[in-house]
Amino acid sequence: MVLNWNLEVVLDFAFALVTLISGIVTLIKPNTRKIHSLHYIRIAIFIGTFSMLFDGISLLYINVPLSIIEGLLNFPLALSLIIGVNYILKENYHSSGFTITFGLGILLIFISFLPGAAEVQFQGGYYRIPWIGVFGYLNLLFYSIIMGYILYWGIKTVRNAPFLIKKEANLFFIGITIYSLASTVFYILYVFEPFFILISTLLAIVGLLIFTMAIILEPKLLYILPFTIYRIVVKDNQGYPLFDYDWSKSQVTENMFTGFINAVQLMSDEIIKMGGLLDVNLKEGILILHESEKVTVGLAASKTSKLLRDSVSKFTFDFETKFQKELKESCRDMREYETAYELIEKHFSNFPSRLIPSKSHPLLLTESLLKLPNLIETDIKKIISDQNDFQFIKSEIFRSPESSATGFISLYHEIKEELEKQEKENAGIDNYIDMR
Amino acid sequence: MQYNLLHTAKVLEHPSVKQVLEIAKEIIDQNKVLNVELLYNIAKKRLGIPRRGLSSIIQALLNRKILVEGSKYTRDTVMQNRFRRKLYEFIKKNIGTHFSLIKNQLQFSEEGKITSPGRLIWHLEMLLKFNFIKRIKLKNFTLFLPLEVSEEEGIIHFIIRDEVNYKILAKVLKSESIKAADVHKEINEKREVVYYRVKNLIEIGFLSFKEQNREIIMINPKIYDILTNIFSII
Repeated sequence: MVLNWNLEVVLDFAFALVTLISGIVTLIKPNTRKIHSLHYIRIAIFIGTFSMLFDGISLLYINVPLSIIEGLLNFPLALSLIIGVNYILKENYHSSGFTITFGLGILLIFISFLPGAAEVQFQGGYYRIPWIGVFGYLNLLFYSIIMGYILYWGIKTVRNAPFLIKKEANLFFIGITIYSLASTVFYILYVFEPFFILISTLLAIVGLLIFTMAIILEPKLLYILPFTIYRIVVKDNQGYPLFDYDWSKSQVTENMFTGFINAVQLMSDEIIKMGGLLDVNLKEGILILHESEKVTVGLAASKTSKLLRDSVSKFTFDFETKFQKELKESCRDMREYETAYELIEKHFSNFPSRLIPSKSHPLLLTESLLKLPNLIETDIKKIISDQNDFQFIKSEIFRSPESSATGFISLYHEIKEELEKQEKENAGIDNYIDMR
Repeated sequence: MQYNLLHTAKVLEHPSVKQVLEIAKEIIDQNKVLNVELLYNIAKKRLGIPRRGLSSIIQALLNRKILVEGSKYTRDTVMQNRFRRKLYEFIKKNIGTHFSLIKNQLQFSEEGKITSPGRLIWHLEMLLKFNFIKRIKLKNFTLFLPLEVSEEEGIIHFIIRDEVNYKILAKVLKSESIKAADVHKEINEKREVVYYRVKNLIEIGFLSFKEQNREIIMINPKIYDILTNIFSII
């Protein structure tokens, strides 16, 4: 049997290989594997691998049924992708896009059994098996749906990506744009000129390679969710803070945080009976509170999510297990709980930090690491005995014009002298009035 | 280099972290604005740490609050401190106020803690530095007033905050001129208290003697208009 080797077959196999690599990367790279959205997107990628493999084999052996099966694979591929994107957006598989695609999929299956869904034709100097009639148009529609959803996912990801991974997000988006938009343009042109299928496949390969590279550099791009988590706080059952971690500048004030945690602790028995979890809707977002036997964990986020609630529950459980000894001894030294950073990495590594909104975002070192010129530091220490006040003024000095420290020292002495004089004068007036 | 270490508690002991912190200190010491870009560029050039490693270090430092959000103050941002804003509002409401009064009235911060004199003076210095307020010296008092208020007006407000001063000036203003020895009877206050105040008001140029009769006092013509204006508002 003579095999129908041609450039399209080679490109199809190359595409299948790149898709397979991409799928494997999405499988091994992320630290978190139990994310629904990622699970379905990964399924879509592996279906894509089979689809391209079938395309190559059907061309190689000039096998019409395999070509029809390849066309049919567009249905589960589109469905998995839609479910994945829906999970990213709303933690639910369903949407109108899902229903429409499902309906179209049934139609696609039905039409695939009708005669003449695909046929062998001599196109562009070799034998091809193009899909014919309604089956062909439906597949074109499925292709557009798939590419449209991929592009939408790319846009959502790049828009929601935090500053620290923006560079990788841009690379990811370039890959997705080439893969979806550019290759679709040539795929549509292929309807008029078969040669364009080669360019379309080639662009898809390049796009997918860039996408894969971006994922290798930053796996978190696979699950950039359209909501922000701000902060997690762990308090013991007396309300003392044990651990605190920020992802972004919190919209929930400290008073609100403490207030709700205290309230939860007051009705702790009822909450533990409910499974320990409580969502508090705030104007500024949501507060997920988990009350356990020894600690209360509060997590502030822009909106609620099952994924977040699960993560909070698991974090709480691990926190109690890891610090069993410290909690038993009622240790309240926050330094003892610092290794809880590892638990953050374990349960919340899929949430990128948004603490730095831009590269020009101004920063300052914490007061204790700032060093004033010796003379000024000595003078201020003579004036300010309270350590908190001293640290506060020190941090302010670093944010103020250069002469502020000396200005402050001289104003302090001036006012001090003035108060002494006023005191003396007041005593003088009293004497004066008494004498009169 | 293992940047996973940065998720552990020993982040500050990591040599790269120490080096990045040194660079941050250096930037601040040179009075430059520290930001991610500058820190990146210098650290990358000097230490050769890749961008992702640096991101990881900066992120860990931010999470442990070793690097904090902050910039050099500008006239707009300096008022983000709530206590400072409260202090400025107080000075605007109490033109010509002095330190003791401020200290008595604003002794508690937003957190309900007692504000130390040092911290209070620091806030005053910041308001002065950023031209929100100015200060004038009047005998043993430093008076604070909003920048837009004239010095004369500031002094008048300070003087009339004392009830006896207010009564004396109101009386003299109403009568145009009055015998100094009779003022205490007119305002129903002790003679010696009034005598001391009148002496002071003459010294600071609020009251003056009539040229023809040194026993009769009147409002100094130089401040007459401002004083009339302020009394009409009060």
